[in-house]
Amino acid sequence: MLSIKNLHASIGEKPILKGINLEVKAGEVHAIMGPNGSGKSTLASVLAGNEKFTVTDGSVEFLGQNLMELSIEDRARLGLFLGFQYPVEIPGVTMANFMKMAVNEQRKFRGEEPLTAGQFLKLMKQKSAVVELDSKLTSRAVNEGFSGGEKKKNEIFQMAMLEPKLAILDETDSGLDIDALRIVATGVTKLHTPENATVVITHYQRLLDYIVPDFVHVLYKGQIIYSGDKSLALKLEKEGYDWLINDYKE
Amino acid sequence: MLFLEYLKSVGLESPRSGDEILLADGSRATLLYNPTAVTCGVAEQGEESLVVVYDQEDESALTFDLMPYSKLSLVEVFLAGAKARCRVLQQAGSVCDITSIVVADAEVDYTVDMNGRGASNVLRSAFIVGGEEHSKLNVRVNHNSPDCTSDSLVKGVAGGKATGEFCGMVYVAQDAQRTDAKQTSRNIEIGADAKIITKPQLEIYADDVKCSHGATVGQMDSEAIFYMRQRGLSEKQARQVQIEGFVREVVLSSDQLGEVLAEELTHKLEIL
Repeated sequence: MLSIKNLHASIGEKPILKGINLEVKAGEVHAIMGPNGSGKSTLASVLAGNEKFTVTDGSVEFLGQNLMELSIEDRARLGLFLGFQYPVEIPGVTMANFMKMAVNEQRKFRGEEPLTAGQFLKLMKQKSAVVELDSKLTSRAVNEGFSGGEKKKNEIFQMAMLEPKLAILDETDSGLDIDALRIVATGVTKLHTPENATVVITHYQRLLDYIVPDFVHVLYKGQIIYSGDKSLALKLEKEGYDWLINDYKE
Repeated sequence: MLFLEYLKSVGLESPRSGDEILLADGSRATLLYNPTAVTCGVAEQGEESLVVVYDQEDESALTFDLMPYSKLSLVEVFLAGAKARCRVLQQAGSVCDITSIVVADAEVDYTVDMNGRGASNVLRSAFIVGGEEHSKLNVRVNHNSPDCTSDSLVKGVAGGKATGEFCGMVYVAQDAQRTDAKQTSRNIEIGADAKIITKPQLEIYADDVKCSHGATVGQMDSEAIFYMRQRGLSEKQARQVQIEGFVREVVLSSDQLGEVLAEELTHKLEIL
């Protein structure tokens, strides 16, 4: 589904990703871990097409297409979803309106008819249950005045509405209390099917108690320096990164 | 539905001053249509609701005299380049709520005098100018008595080669203690040739007051555009949604009148 080869990217003149290689297949869950500043969020942003970053080398294929040639919105419409670490507030635009536009744009891209108001409301009700999202939030402005937990639930709610092929969740667990973490994480697992794939970027093992990864990768200084199965996350939680990164320190 | 169509839909084919508008919630508002000079008093403990529409390039001077503990809700809609002066005199405990929408190169001037203890005033305004238009909005709130509150929020959008000017002043007299006054000006310039000029000012002579003012002039928020495009909206759509949300905040309300005002703003944004 996703094939990243030797990906290099910079912000301004500063290189951040220095040769990433990663293969993600349908049905898989990948976790990307690593110390602060290693490039995890940059990888997520570059895949989604954030124009703050420049891709300087390498290639990314997504569902058979050259991802780097596609606009931000076409990547999304093809089925790439980014769960933001810091969801953005959009004053004056209600959540319901925003989602209606997003869902219908994506349907249009697939050659499907737009949802009627009734169908849309039904879908929204059904999907907000996935993350126990307070139905009042959908009539409020996007993320405005939402608590940290509500913002993250709202990201997963949007994921449920859009049913992406590939979801990249950038520190969806940061800033969540234990209950909110459970709700968000079980929401993600409910959405997982053999046809889609999930990449979770996280600092903590506790998220992976719910979202059990098939692969765990350690990103350090812009490269994946180590990959393993779910036991790697447990080992990192206990022992930290030092045993892995000592060889890479200058 | 735009404003004049809305008036038609409620039976005002050829609107005249004094006509009554029946609002969706069952309440009534009185229409002033291109008024030239009007003085309107609101009786003690009375309530008035007025909708003022300008679609001609006339000059006008309105004065509203709010008796103690009266309430005035005033909606002003500028569809043409009118020159309008609006004066609001507020006595003790009176409450005035102003919504003002400017989608033409109008010159609009609000002067509010808080002449009695405990009066309060809320003003919400949005102006959108495009092409070669040049609009001016002055808001002056004079706190002449103690314990009054005022809150003004003005949002401006300029596109094309247009200029939008906002000049704000909060004046607090020496014995207007415990004044609580806020004035905010938020603006977006679209493109390099559009221009916003904003001058919020404070003049305070009392010592026990809570006053704040702030002004920002910005471009579009690129993070928000990225967020919306990541969900599948086109770049153009995302820009439009953002700017619509920005101005809609001043009229964001569930009532029908608010919806019509919002649509008037959206329509103007579409033709910027």
